[in-house]
Amino acid sequence: MRWSNRGSSSVDGKEPQLETAPDFPSRQPIMGVVVRRVRDGAITLLIVVTVIFTLAHVVGNPAIAYAPIDASDEEVALIEHQFGLDRPFTVRYFEYLGDLATGDFGESNWQKRPALDAVREAVPATIQLTLAGILVAGLFGSVGGLLAGISPNSLFDRVTNFFSVAALSVPNFWLGLLLIVVFAVNLGWFPTSGRYGWSSIVLPAATLGIVHGGRIFQLVRSATVEEISKPYVVVARSKGFSMPVVVGRHVLRNTGLTMATTVGWEYVRMWGGAAFAIEYVFAWPGIGLLMINGANRQDFFVLQSAVIVAGAFVILSNLVIDLFYNLIDRRINSAG
Amino acid sequence: MQADVVTLGTLGAQAESTKSVDLATRFHLRTWLWLLLLSPVVLLLFCAVLPELFQLHDPQHQNLRARLLPPWSTSSDGFHPFGTDSLGRDLYSQMVEGTRLTLTIAVVATAIGGTLGVLVGLISGYFGGWLDRFLSRLSEAQTAMPMFLVAILLLSLLGPSVTILLIVLPTLLWPIFARVVRAESMRLKESLFIEAAIAVGCSPMRLLRSHMLPNIAPRILVLAVIEVGHVMLAEAGLSFLGVGVQPPDVTWGLLIAGGRPLLAVAWWLTILPGVLLAMTVLIFNLFGRQFERFSGAAG
Repeated sequence: MRWSNRGSSSVDGKEPQLETAPDFPSRQPIMGVVVRRVRDGAITLLIVVTVIFTLAHVVGNPAIAYAPIDASDEEVALIEHQFGLDRPFTVRYFEYLGDLATGDFGESNWQKRPALDAVREAVPATIQLTLAGILVAGLFGSVGGLLAGISPNSLFDRVTNFFSVAALSVPNFWLGLLLIVVFAVNLGWFPTSGRYGWSSIVLPAATLGIVHGGRIFQLVRSATVEEISKPYVVVARSKGFSMPVVVGRHVLRNTGLTMATTVGWEYVRMWGGAAFAIEYVFAWPGIGLLMINGANRQDFFVLQSAVIVAGAFVILSNLVIDLFYNLIDRRINSAG
Repeated sequence: MQADVVTLGTLGAQAESTKSVDLATRFHLRTWLWLLLLSPVVLLLFCAVLPELFQLHDPQHQNLRARLLPPWSTSSDGFHPFGTDSLGRDLYSQMVEGTRLTLTIAVVATAIGGTLGVLVGLISGYFGGWLDRFLSRLSEAQTAMPMFLVAILLLSLLGPSVTILLIVLPTLLWPIFARVVRAESMRLKESLFIEAAIAVGCSPMRLLRSHMLPNIAPRILVLAVIEVGHVMLAEAGLSFLGVGVQPPDVTWGLLIAGGRPLLAVAWWLTILPGVLLAMTVLIFNLFGRQFERFSGAAG
């Protein structure tokens, strides 16, 4: 077993920023932190909404998106008037915020019902899939990363490290298709698509798990390699404790929180992209599938609701992870 | 005092010499092996510039008698190493054809997003203050958004096209560069040679361009190489979902999408372009990492 730190590699500079310590002076009441984080989250959500409004109303024109593809200028103008799109931007912006605040996200022109209802129906499926995915990713990523990290540059480390980079390089939707070909079409173990019973979640969750497990592996591994080169580990080893004991009693206590937070961040990251493409591949009736169907039907209100709902979920998850991290890690609260 | 002046004067030379020693000791067989990794990239570049040189058939040539031929088969048109699609077009030739647009989009989008991110990072890292807070806030807000969904929204609003992709993809990309460059330039700002440059009256523009940027460049390059791979994945994803590149243009992502309805009968149409894409991204990833180690930019 080698103790060098040479094997550590940062993951393309995109590690989640865990150093929240400077933000919080010592003995700051936790309520203050909560208030601050909620305020930050609200501002971010406002930015999301504003960006969507700007894109839709300043860059694009919802009337054109709503009208049939061969509509004349007069017909577009009529639609504009009907929806009040011929009024000043500022008026529309505040009206828009008011609508959103009262839960009016517009009518889906494809499903002929409030867009928010369609999204609300899709949310549980997405949550179910992402939770199953993070379970797979977290299990493989953190256990593998830990085992690879405690013996840097060993054969196991090299092999698993390569596979984790490969997992990061594979297009997630293509991996899904590959699994369908092998396990659904040829072996017939699992259904190719849809959401019926437990067996239909196996393939999409495995796809998500492999792609995101690669990143968790990388982060956990480099955290472990760093921790293992610290003097206390050498001291514990020199006192005669075996490696599993040192890791179990000491190293895990220090890296466990980082690992948990990494898994949390990765869960949020799933909502940033991979989950939705995989939903499309497996026809999993979640937000992603809804959005692609909406995009193909030019259904702006469904797209907008989906982005806002997913954005709110991401912001909320970030908030929860942040607070969790602050609550659990005493060092941040006291030492600051 | 005297010692200080000497240190200042020889600082650059010292840094230079240790660096070259490092490079000399590291530049042995393994380096060459890693450079060998570049050969597929060179091959891909050739495919992008001169596809005709590598194609066995006209990629758009249809032959309805040679539909859905499995890999390694022969038709009246000749040999099809990767089989044919539902119109009897040669898959291998289409993959070669798709190289150009796939690589172009990835490289151009990375260049645009990278430039933007580097500018933002340099400015907010060096000047600090309210500008830094504003820009950091912006990049934070973007990281907190499900950007893939925003990209779908944007592309379906503006109409999917290569031009719009080249606007959307850099938008996803710049915060990554901005964050790294900001941290680096904040660190560099404290170093002696920057202080010296300010002391001799260097203007901020010159300072950023001639003193900060060259020192951050290796880090940016590493990041850019890795991000080219990620942008390829993003483009393929968007094209696969039908909101990216549109036919009759050809990219690897589109080829994967085109094979999807025939997955059960003709697996090669989906799997083979994906293998090519995955291997290309893997090479960019591995090369970026190795470059990071060689240049010592990892810190």
